[in-house]
Amino acid sequence: MKLQKEAMNWLDSRLGIRELLHSNLTGYLLPRNVNVWYTLGSVLLALFGLQFLTGILLLIYYVPDTEKAFASVTAIMNQVPYGWLIRYLHVVGSNLIMVFILLHMFSVLFMGSYKRPRELTWLSGFGLFNMGLIFCLTGYLLPWSQLSFWATTVATDAAGAIPVVGDTLLEYLRGGASVGDATLGRFFALHVMGLPMAFLGLVGFHLFCVRRAGISSAPFGEDYRPTELSNSFHHQKHPGGVPFHPNYTIKDLAMIFFALALLVAITFYAPWLFIPLDALTPADPFSTPAHIKPEWYFLWAYQSLKIFPSALLGLAAQGAAMGFLAMLPFLDRGPERRPGKRPIFVTLYLLGILLTVGLSIWGHYS
Amino acid sequence: MSDPSAQSTERRTFLGVLLGGIGAVIAGAFSWPLFRYLSPIDKGGEQQQVRVPRRQVAVGGTHFFSYQGRPAVLLQPKAGEFVALSAVCTHLGCIVKWVEESQEFLCPCHGGRFSTAGQVLGGPPPSPLATYVVSVDGDEILIG
Repeated sequence: MKLQKEAMNWLDSRLGIRELLHSNLTGYLLPRNVNVWYTLGSVLLALFGLQFLTGILLLIYYVPDTEKAFASVTAIMNQVPYGWLIRYLHVVGSNLIMVFILLHMFSVLFMGSYKRPRELTWLSGFGLFNMGLIFCLTGYLLPWSQLSFWATTVATDAAGAIPVVGDTLLEYLRGGASVGDATLGRFFALHVMGLPMAFLGLVGFHLFCVRRAGISSAPFGEDYRPTELSNSFHHQKHPGGVPFHPNYTIKDLAMIFFALALLVAITFYAPWLFIPLDALTPADPFSTPAHIKPEWYFLWAYQSLKIFPSALLGLAAQGAAMGFLAMLPFLDRGPERRPGKRPIFVTLYLLGILLTVGLSIWGHYS
Repeated sequence: MSDPSAQSTERRTFLGVLLGGIGAVIAGAFSWPLFRYLSPIDKGGEQQQVRVPRRQVAVGGTHFFSYQGRPAVLLQPKAGEFVALSAVCTHLGCIVKWVEESQEFLCPCHGGRFSTAGQVLGGPPPSPLATYVVSVDGDEILIG
């Protein structure tokens, strides 16, 4: 204990570490009514951390070559000690991240936390959601299985529907006329280097926005009143609130452990949920398997492309929906955040979720 | 009546130790797979013998190959006499090269010299090159 105190004194005299810890942990007060939905950001950080770790470990044995990729993944699963565990954690982890990102977005939307002054927090978060989708898309190709190959072929093919530049864009995405060596090369580089670096930068900006603007109060309870908006910068403080540490960190840790327990449970008992049979056959560019489907979080997009008379209309509808979501804080500008007092928004919110889930189920069974 | 603040401190210490213990057990449980994952994979090659066609080693010439995952060299100093040595210099691990003119091995890194039997002839190497068992099996030389 004495050594710990001396180390702390040494750091404190040089970096003012005690003041820093106090202002960000014990002295940083949060609203008293923070609920479990506020912990999803920390859960996502923990899960992304695990993805980085398992991803680095997989890189030790994975070979990004169309002739060797499938064999290297098979070797990871069957020959490398505990390779199956590392790969399953990575695969299941990526799917859980999408679940928690969606829950995080749903809670932010429901509580109106995207509203002014948190537009940039929402925009950067929305960017992270899209980046998560690209992470999944690029990672899906790497095992070079039938599923990887044909899911990527179908996913990239949609870009060809864009007028004028579609064909060029498609070739640019794939690095050639069809999915092949060049596609694997660029998807691999993007998945292990380009995206992680951009992602870390954007996460940093997102956290900066969260810390700088201050945590929003949950818009529930009799005491809640909409915040008066001002034109100058104002950090939202919560006098009489609960300290970030230990009150909130304990809640965070509990949810992180819940998510990890879920991850481990699926990894041990139901990893096949995310690894269909087509993922067990090496890619064959001359034989398309029947009923190839994208991952569950792309099913809504897959189905919406099918129900429109042309792929261009489908893409335009998807773009409009995503654009609307991204721009929501600039369209929905009223200060009211209580769901009970926003009936139109809540109706649209529920209809939007129902539509997405309905399209996904339709896409799954179509 | 016991002091409530003392009770609270005891409870906090107890919970801290309990959580720390559980955390250590979980970390231990996941450290083992991580350690095994990073350990070299045993491909069962340690006990394997290597066969080299006899015609690949001329009299006074050498043939470099991999033996048990390490560079090795087979040479025929005299007709019908075969020697297999480790090709890794015992000084700092560089790979020795064969100098046909002087019929000796030279380490290009720091000038270590070895005889055809692997003995140190000069330079900084502290010990001879390791030797391997060699036998002749028809048209092949068997090492190990």
